Amino acid sequence: MHRKFWIGTLVAALLISLGWGVNEYRLEGKYHLVAENNSHRALTDFASYLDQMESDMAKGNVASSPNQKILYLSQVSSKSEAALKDFAQIPADQVGLSYVSEFLTQSGDFTRTLTQKLAGGGKISTEEEKTLNDMHERLMPVNQKVQDIMMRMDTENLVWTDPTPSLGQRLGFGRTKIAEAAADGTEVPFKSVRSGLDQLDASLQKLPPFSYTGEYATRVVPKPLGLPSGDVTRDQAQGVAREFLSKVGYPSITPEFTGESQGALGGYMWKYKEADIEVSHQGGVVTFYRDQRSIEPQALSKEEAASKAQAILQALGWHLVLTSSEDYGSYIQFDAVVEKDGVRIYPDKVRLMIALDNGQLVGLDAAPYYSFHHSRTFPAKLTMTQVVKNLRPNFKILESRLAVIAKSGNQEVYCYEFRGQYQGEEYLLYLNASTGAEEKIQRIIKTPRGEFLQ
Amino acid sequence: MRLQIRHWGITLTIGLILSIALSGMAYAALGDRLLGRGSNGPEVRQLQSKLAQLGYSVGTIDGKFRSKTEAAIRKFQQDHGLRVDGLAGTHTINELKRLTSQSTNASGKAVGYKNIDTRLLARCVNAEARGEPFRGQVAVAAVIMNRITDPAFPKTVADIIYQPEAFSSVDDGQINLPPSASSLRAVQEALSGSDPTGGALFYFNPAKTRNRYIWSRPEIKRIGNHIFTK
Repeated sequence: MHRKFWIGTLVAALLISLGWGVNEYRLEGKYHLVAENNSHRALTDFASYLDQMESDMAKGNVASSPNQKILYLSQVSSKSEAALKDFAQIPADQVGLSYVSEFLTQSGDFTRTLTQKLAGGGKISTEEEKTLNDMHERLMPVNQKVQDIMMRMDTENLVWTDPTPSLGQRLGFGRTKIAEAAADGTEVPFKSVRSGLDQLDASLQKLPPFSYTGEYATRVVPKPLGLPSGDVTRDQAQGVAREFLSKVGYPSITPEFTGESQGALGGYMWKYKEADIEVSHQGGVVTFYRDQRSIEPQALSKEEAASKAQAILQALGWHLVLTSSEDYGSYIQFDAVVEKDGVRIYPDKVRLMIALDNGQLVGLDAAPYYSFHHSRTFPAKLTMTQVVKNLRPNFKILESRLAVIAKSGNQEVYCYEFRGQYQGEEYLLYLNASTGAEEKIQRIIKTPRGEFLQ
Repeated sequence: MRLQIRHWGITLTIGLILSIALSGMAYAALGDRLLGRGSNGPEVRQLQSKLAQLGYSVGTIDGKFRSKTEAAIRKFQQDHGLRVDGLAGTHTINELKRLTSQSTNASGKAVGYKNIDTRLLARCVNAEARGEPFRGQVAVAAVIMNRITDPAFPKTVADIIYQPEAFSSVDDGQINLPPSASSLRAVQEALSGSDPTGGALFYFNPAKTRNRYIWSRPEIKRIGNHIFTK
């Protein structure tokens, strides 16, 4: 009786676990399939966009009328964006700087700048013709390689990523073929989609970069223009940090050294209580300050905070005008820029945060200022009345001034800035001060924290 | 005659029910009365959903003001320069309403919340840098923004975050945890252009990473437990 009972229970348990196992297995298979299908879609779309992009680039190259050229070149830029999106979804083992992505981004970026130039009535220079041609020459083998990967995926059942090395390989017995190939520089047949794409990436990395002016033309951050010359020692930097801290409400204290940062604006990093401060190697100036102390209940109004911000800027030796603010509740963030001879220089920006409990400075970011500040000479300009004629009718001007704004690719433009209304919306319009051409349009949105430019 | 009495009775009952219901609805507007421990009702529910929207965890949104809601209110008050008393009075509710309202255009027309990517970014920051100092959280968001401006990466926040193997928190599902208040604020700062990393494109925790590629990148600086690299 007992025995029967136990056997029955065991059988039932076995059946239940078996059923559960089968169900899990089916579910796993289903999810795996969904992921697999999505990867296939991404790869196929990537290959297809790349192919269309290649042929549109060829057509854009040969087209002679500006209208046709604009049509094909703008298609190249939208196809490159789509290709990039799908490329980024193909399975990988890790993420690094991708030269395939870079090539796609720059092709789209360059053709977009050409489109804008043509649309504005400009002409494509011989040099630009050549760059376009070079890009096409480079795109053709990329396209071929991707199609080859697609073909082999179909015929040889390529996996997405290389299998992880076996135990033997990990212990040092025998190396993977790809590693060997990478070592002697030859190309071996790849075993996975990803290793095929990695080979493509490596081949693109060896080629010289394109030279053009555009948003994504370069990765390198240019040398900071605004740092004073001469390097400072650690002791000197500590002195700078002490002086700064005494001006923002922490007199006669010694900040503690926490490390050094590298790069264009690298420096010595210091800490006092919950405040971090960074003093640049070159020039010994404070590039960054942030105090994380807890902030007591609000005692200052927004206007009082703005005048505190002005006062602290003065005390720290800055001569700037406040241009915008964002209300974070316990502190307000202000952006301040240089204004020289009535020209607002937006790239030379300092951001500061004022605590609303006692008006102390709790944050300063002067990195943009030190990156871009330099003495500028302004070209001859049209008069305001000449430029106003280029605005659309019914645009109601609320404010106007001269300004320097940043454009893509670290370029600057000398402009007239118009803040105004059109059909219930508010905009900032920037018109080139020497030619009167429209350079930039920004729509002003009022968010709960402050104005936001879209 | 009897019928008429009954008629009156029905009218009276309906009137009574209506007046009770309407007075309840009148109470329901958030900000009409002081809410504190023990308060219940639709306005508490509104309060809770606004707190949750800003990343202050209230547990389930059930319209009951209990200890979790009070803790969330205290944290919110502390972060926003309000007197910390755990009660939702006029100041606290006005600040909550201000921060959760939609953006408008110049003529006051609502145009949505804007910065659609904020919440996904904040979830990523929350999952990747929960234990880090606030500056380290802004830094993680800044790395994603830096990738957008670099040619070698995809061009949208979602494409960057969901790139296979880009963020470990996407692979282990932590990205789906609700974003914290500090991660939301960190993201807002990064979106408005703050970058404490000095242009970093990668970061890693040296105690947890053996990935050789990432160790090979030139270091910029260390913030909290993360090393930020080019």
